[in-house]
Amino acid sequence: MRSAGAVVGLFLLALLAFLAFMVPAFTPDPDATAYGDKLAQPSWAHLLGTDAAGRDVLARVAAGARISLGGALLVGVAGVVVGLLVGLAAALVGGVVDALLSRLIDVVLAVPTLLLALAVVGVLGPGLRNLLVAMVLAGWAPIARLARAWAAERLGRPYVTAARLAGLSRWRAARLHVVPPTAHAVLAVATLGLGETILGLAGLSFVGLGVQPPTAEWGQLVAENRLYATTAPWLVLAPGAAIVLSVAAVTLLADAWLDRAAAP
Amino acid sequence: MVRRLLARLGVAVATVAGAAALVWALQLLAPGDPARRVLAATGIHDPLPAQVEAAQRELGLDQPVYRRLMDWYAGVARGDLGVSWRTGRPVRAELADRLPATGRLVAATGVLAALAAIPVTLLASASRRRWPDGLLRVGTFVAAATPSFLVGTLLLDILVVRAGVGRVLSDGSWRAAWLPAVPLALGIAAYWSRVLRTALGEAATAPFLETAAARGSGRLRLLFVHALPNAARPLLAAVGVAMGSLLAGAVVIETLFTWPGVGRHLIEAIEARDAPVVQGFVLFGVACYVATSLLTDMLAWLIDPRPEAA
Repeated sequence: MRSAGAVVGLFLLALLAFLAFMVPAFTPDPDATAYGDKLAQPSWAHLLGTDAAGRDVLARVAAGARISLGGALLVGVAGVVVGLLVGLAAALVGGVVDALLSRLIDVVLAVPTLLLALAVVGVLGPGLRNLLVAMVLAGWAPIARLARAWAAERLGRPYVTAARLAGLSRWRAARLHVVPPTAHAVLAVATLGLGETILGLAGLSFVGLGVQPPTAEWGQLVAENRLYATTAPWLVLAPGAAIVLSVAAVTLLADAWLDRAAAP
Repeated sequence: MVRRLLARLGVAVATVAGAAALVWALQLLAPGDPARRVLAATGIHDPLPAQVEAAQRELGLDQPVYRRLMDWYAGVARGDLGVSWRTGRPVRAELADRLPATGRLVAATGVLAALAAIPVTLLASASRRRWPDGLLRVGTFVAAATPSFLVGTLLLDILVVRAGVGRVLSDGSWRAAWLPAVPLALGIAAYWSRVLRTALGEAATAPFLETAAARGSGRLRLLFVHALPNAARPLLAAVGVAMGSLLAGAVVIETLFTWPGVGRHLIEAIEARDAPVVQGFVLFGVACYVATSLLTDMLAWLIDPRPEAA
């Protein structure tokens, strides 16, 4: 059952990779307008039709994949790096550093992630770069809390004590026996969080806080085409389906990974 | 019990105080001089140095940082969140004007989500490992992966344009609140359903349930009298978490449905770089979130008075 989920997840991931890397090779320029050809039905020339400016929808969805998925991946990786550094520092240094960092984590966690991201975009101003910065600033705290808890738990295990007794320095014992398992566990959980990040980025782009037109991004594509949902539903459904399939893919893969990690 | 209550209350107050400092510190990230921005908002684009200084004094920007933080805390304690840079009105008044509409939307969402999640999940849990349960799992999975704005866009198109249900009613009234509540409720219902399903599953393998079954309790009695109260704690915790995600979700859905609430106002404020309104909204959102989890925690203690596992 679970491995079936992983297979579906891998298939979706391959599909999305094909969309992001191969599709742009045989579709027209995503930003090239052709007003004579606007709102065309899906055809062999335009597999998903054209939008109100005559731009190829498939090309725009493929171009959007780079920003929607690449952006989410960037946010995820940056969140893991910051979260791991803060969490490990708190657990390994301990004392006052731990107390201070733990309070900081608590405060950031007290603000719902997307609300904090909204606040950061609110002061920095809309735009893709600011949105990505905001998502990282809002998203590192859960990772840091997990990393801190897991590293502290590992530190207390007998084999770490044994390694210390065998003469390893505190740092070397931590680097060999605490950091790798903590990083591995954190990565699995962060992959699960990637789905939320994709949805969050798309949502905030939908309300105009992310990329600015004419750049294609999935949430922004739904927003710019929503007035044509009646006459040309594929304009909204194509980027919408891309979001749903991406979130489904990362969730299935992360679930399978977490299952495996939990299994003996 | 009183001691536990006071400790929990203390945590809530400390959390809001910490978040208030965080929200205040955000303005240090803002590029440019706020004084110039306020002047530009009032139509003075090339201010004289004296005008800039006067504006800085008025905003308290000439004070040292700790002094400004203290002033912000003193204001927050009095319910004074500063003045909008865009309109010059107090932030509190701006939020209060739009709060009822958002309150109706949030309440309607909560009702719809509970109605959708709880009965269906109970039914499916009673038939665990058979097709209703499998259907529910697939359904919640898809619902959780679908962005609310996509559902909202399609809903607006189908109901308002195709079925001709009428013009988009977005006057902020109770009657109109149910339509925008649907896309918000879908994601939350999926989340609640998963939490409830897991909690019921855990309760189902607990020794007390075997005892009850051995004593001859029927399936319904087992579910409602023995399993459900034990699922109360995770479910109530999920209500608090949903409140947190709802605050950001409302911003998106209010913008789509042109709902006259605080969420759409926040987007307008962000576009105008009106930092005090943004800070006020976020701090208010945190207060709602913390208050909700405080209330649900207390409710959970009433239903399930066992001490929490550490």
